[in-house]
Amino acid sequence: MNTLVITRVGERQWHALDDDLVVGRGDASPRPDGRLYLSVDAWHDSVFERLAAVMLAALPRPLYTVVDEADLDLTARWQQAGLTVRRREWEYVMASGTVSVPSPRGVTMLPAGRAELRPLRRLDRTIHAEIESSPGWDLMPAAVLSRPLDPGRYLVAAGSDGYVGLARLALLPRHTRIGLIAVRASRRRRGIARAMLAEVLRSSQERGVPTVSAEVHEANAEAIALFEGAGARRHGSNLELVIR
Amino acid sequence: MAKGTDGIQVEGTVTECLRNANFRVELTNGHVVLAHISGKIRKNYIKILPFDRVLVELSEYDLNRGRILFRYRN
Repeated sequence: MNTLVITRVGERQWHALDDDLVVGRGDASPRPDGRLYLSVDAWHDSVFERLAAVMLAALPRPLYTVVDEADLDLTARWQQAGLTVRRREWEYVMASGTVSVPSPRGVTMLPAGRAELRPLRRLDRTIHAEIESSPGWDLMPAAVLSRPLDPGRYLVAAGSDGYVGLARLALLPRHTRIGLIAVRASRRRRGIARAMLAEVLRSSQERGVPTVSAEVHEANAEAIALFEGAGARRHGSNLELVIR
Repeated sequence: MAKGTDGIQVEGTVTECLRNANFRVELTNGHVVLAHISGKIRKNYIKILPFDRVLVELSEYDLNRGRILFRYRN
C-alpha cells in the first residue's frame, strides 16, 4: 500500500487508490435531519485509517456512524479514528403467532393498508412532535428514512375520536421489522401498544412469516418491557458512534 | 481515473447469520464465502437474513471473504 492515494470522487464520496485500483471506499450520507453518517469499506486497516482521516478532516462535525456491536474490528477502527459511543440499541426478535391480549375498549386495529392517508399523516406528525419533546426524534432509527408516508406500511390503532397509535412496518418476504411503534401521549398506559404488537405478530404469522424484529434504545424501559412481555429475545445490538 | 476495483462481484444466497456480524453466503457457483455487510447497508439498517439473495464483492486478497453490497428483493 505504498502508493495509496485518497481521492474525493463526489461531494460525499472518496476512493482509496492503490496503483489506480480502488482498494477502499468512503461515503457520507445525510439523514433527513441533516446529520451525516459515515461508512468506510476497506479490506486493510491502513486503507480504512487513511480514508477515515481524510473524510473526518473534510466534513463538518458532528459526524456519525453505525456499527454492529459484535463487529469488534469495525468498532475498534472507528474508535481509533476518534469516534465515541453515543448510544446503543438492542435488537429484539420474537416469533410470530397469536398472543392473547385484550383489545383496549373503543380501539380498533386497522391492518397495514387500511388506514386513511390524511388522518394517518396527522397522527404521524402529532407523535413526531410528542417524541421530539421527550426523548428526542433524533435518537430514533425512524429518522433514517424520509419516504412519503405509505399507509401500506402502517398498522393503525383507531379510537372513536381518531387514530391514536401506529406501528410502521417493513414487510419483508420472510420477516417483519417494526420501525416504530408509538401511541399518542394522551392515550398511553391503556394497552394500545401491546394490542398493536399482538396484531403485528398475528398478521405476520398469517402471511407465513416466522419472525418479527425491532430495535430498541437501551434506555427505553417502556419499549423493552413491551417487547420482552411479548416473548422477544435480545439478538444483538447496534452502536451509534459520533465525533464532535 | 481508476482502472477498476479490487473486488469481484458475484450473486449469492445467505445460508447462515453468524454471531460476529458475519454471514455465510453460497455463491451461484456453489462456492461458500464468509461475508460482512457493507457500510452503506449497515447505515441504512438493511436487515440480512438467511435465504436472502445478495450481491457480494469478493476480496482479491482472500476469495473466501466477501462484503455484501446489496440485498435483492426476493
